[in-house]
Amino acid sequence: FLGAGGGNDIQWCFSQVKGAVDDDVAEADIISTVEFNHSGELLATGDKGGRVVIFQQEQENKSQSHSRGEYNVYSTFQSHEPEFDYLKSLEIEEKINKIRWLPQKNAAQFLLSTNDKTIKLWKISERDKRPEGYNLKEEDGRYRDPTTVTTLRVPVFRPMDLMVEASPRRIFANAHTYHINSISINSDYETYLSADDLRINLWHLEITDRSFNIVDIKPANMEELTEVITAAEFHPNSCNTFVYSSSKGTIRLCDMRASALCDRHSKLFEEPEDPSNRSFFSEIISSISDVKFSHSGRYMMTRDYLSVKIWDLNMENRPVETYQVHEYLRSKLCSLYENDCIFDKFECCWNGSDRQLLTFFLPPLCSIVMTGSYNNFFRMFDRNTKRDITLEASRENNKPRTVLKPRKVCASGKRKKDEISVDSLDFNKKILHTAWHPKENIIAVATTNNLYIFQDKMN
Amino acid sequence: MLGKGGKRKFDEHEDGLEGKVVSPTDGPSKVSYTLQRQTIFNISLMKLYNHRPLTEPSLQKTVLINNMLRRIQEELKQEGSLRPMFMTASQPADPLSDNFREAQPAFSHLASQPLLPTDFVSTTPLESCLTPASLLEDDTFCTSPTVQHDGPTKPPPPALQPVKDSFSSALDEIEELCPAPTSAEAVAAETAADDSKDHPSESSVQKPEGLPESRTAESKLMDSLPGNFEITTSTGFLTDLTLDDILFADIDTSMYDFDPCTSATGAASKMAPVSADELLKTLAPYSSQPVTPNQPFKMDLTELDHIMEVLVGS
Repeated sequence: FLGAGGGNDIQWCFSQVKGAVDDDVAEADIISTVEFNHSGELLATGDKGGRVVIFQQEQENKSQSHSRGEYNVYSTFQSHEPEFDYLKSLEIEEKINKIRWLPQKNAAQFLLSTNDKTIKLWKISERDKRPEGYNLKEEDGRYRDPTTVTTLRVPVFRPMDLMVEASPRRIFANAHTYHINSISINSDYETYLSADDLRINLWHLEITDRSFNIVDIKPANMEELTEVITAAEFHPNSCNTFVYSSSKGTIRLCDMRASALCDRHSKLFEEPEDPSNRSFFSEIISSISDVKFSHSGRYMMTRDYLSVKIWDLNMENRPVETYQVHEYLRSKLCSLYENDCIFDKFECCWNGSDRQLLTFFLPPLCSIVMTGSYNNFFRMFDRNTKRDITLEASRENNKPRTVLKPRKVCASGKRKKDEISVDSLDFNKKILHTAWHPKENIIAVATTNNLYIFQDKMN
Repeated sequence: MLGKGGKRKFDEHEDGLEGKVVSPTDGPSKVSYTLQRQTIFNISLMKLYNHRPLTEPSLQKTVLINNMLRRIQEELKQEGSLRPMFMTASQPADPLSDNFREAQPAFSHLASQPLLPTDFVSTTPLESCLTPASLLEDDTFCTSPTVQHDGPTKPPPPALQPVKDSFSSALDEIEELCPAPTSAEAVAAETAADDSKDHPSESSVQKPEGLPESRTAESKLMDSLPGNFEITTSTGFLTDLTLDDILFADIDTSMYDFDPCTSATGAASKMAPVSADELLKTLAPYSSQPVTPNQPFKMDLTELDHIMEVLVGS
């Protein structure tokens, strides 16, 4: 089993699954992003139909010490609608590419959600009281005839059934010619960046009618374009620092204090190509699909098609650790290129802090990384023990509080019992989005249209 | 898409191509590096031109596929003894191809590329160009970029190269010409090519040996590209006109709004009936002499009808 830092094993158990049961997947239900909020109480998903669904964790029941609270639907709203670009005669997809939560400042919750072109700030607020006893209105809203009013009273608030309302507070539009792939909130909690294929813009959360371009890699002659931006993120502590990754497998760290336009990087992270692994597809599989800083900001993690790499920000010439996610696919790259799977954008995430560890006074130890694969498999790598595990998100054989059985893919040769051969992998079942609760060992894993929640087995 | 345990296309290719990682430095191996490169080249082209989404295609994907094509193009340029079209004078002169440079005055406005040197062509039977399997059997086809200096001494996969070069030089135009070439353009240009080939003034300057090779090469390349080029079965009409002209010729395609991919899936695809006159008008740019619809053409009009039937009927 996977060890987690202080020697405690994490035994993952199935907890819940959300979404339609039938195999026929409605396109609009395809989950496109998953994100916990800062406390972990709320879990948001975005889908291809432009909807956001937020789940809320039940308050922990002291009597039910064997499991943490379940997640139930808290709010559902339509964040983005499909649009039409008349100039190019093309549709703008309503698919939610990313959701990022703001830290909670008052009773309401705020999140940023984005599709290819427009970012929106949503306020999610609860209403559990309503005013009653108006003088000029009846309870049903009809206006009373003023001549019938003989006395005056003060309206009072009465409890009502909880209603969760989502309202768009800001709409940040018309700043991106190309498709937005990332949004990242700065540690100052006042600004955020949005990145598309060629440009990165800086916004102020309060100001919607202008943004500042901080990175522009568009060549003067588009025919010379050979590289695009694939992901970007602000440093968790340093509000002037951000990184962006490219389709050529490089990561650039930029300091906004250096100049207004951060076209010149402060650091360039790139691993030299391994000549023994060279193939036609070397460039494509080196394209980075996700980049995530560790909680401390000392490290960052990148995901390319076949591996996860951990970089020390102080060392640019190679990663400090590399984990192979599904190396058995290396010999299948040609067919994966043909069926477009090679362009799948897998995300990755760090573990949250673990209360069981004696790290109360230290920042959360980022010791485990998680990422998805095909056949509804997902993988976890323990940086301390160097052990890894493959688990499956499926409704079969998944009862609550039953420990998940590790899976194994047989690359070649004789297939052992319980192993799955590479050729029987279902490449339609891909796990691109995963999220880890910021404080507890709870993970959310999105298959095509279902959301799985796993917890560690509490003893 | 790959289903669970489902059979995939190119199954025979799979065993060959995917059995091992093919590196350019491998010695003669069962898997032909060149074959793999050609397959990838074809797949890449298909991806770029078969894609008709309602939404904008992913720029990242387009850039990566373009880079792949460029890389293969560079390799071919370095390897082959042929020069690609639109070559600059800085390229080392190949004495053999000098003969062919003069063969092109009639097509100068089309800027067709020099053909394969004769001695290559004659040593290679036509059949070996047509079947990939034969390439696999012949170890000498396992070329690697490092051996490129051999140049004329090694038999390259013949006739494929000029076509690839025309594609690769066409790539330079790809970025300029945003709209993807429709298959109808390819067919119309192909029929145009037929006409030019049979036109007496042009054929006299053609090296006869060059013709069959490039024709079969192009047809082979066409055949290996399903989808857009399914209907181009009348390979006998292709001349040494480059595919560049076929794909990017400035012809009126308003009546050829036809995509066999979508029609295959039953989606609505308009097939406007085209009269022979209109078709003849589009053939005009391809002959060096001014053409009027009344001028008798060498090409049999029944052949033309046959092509139209194929266009309309499928």
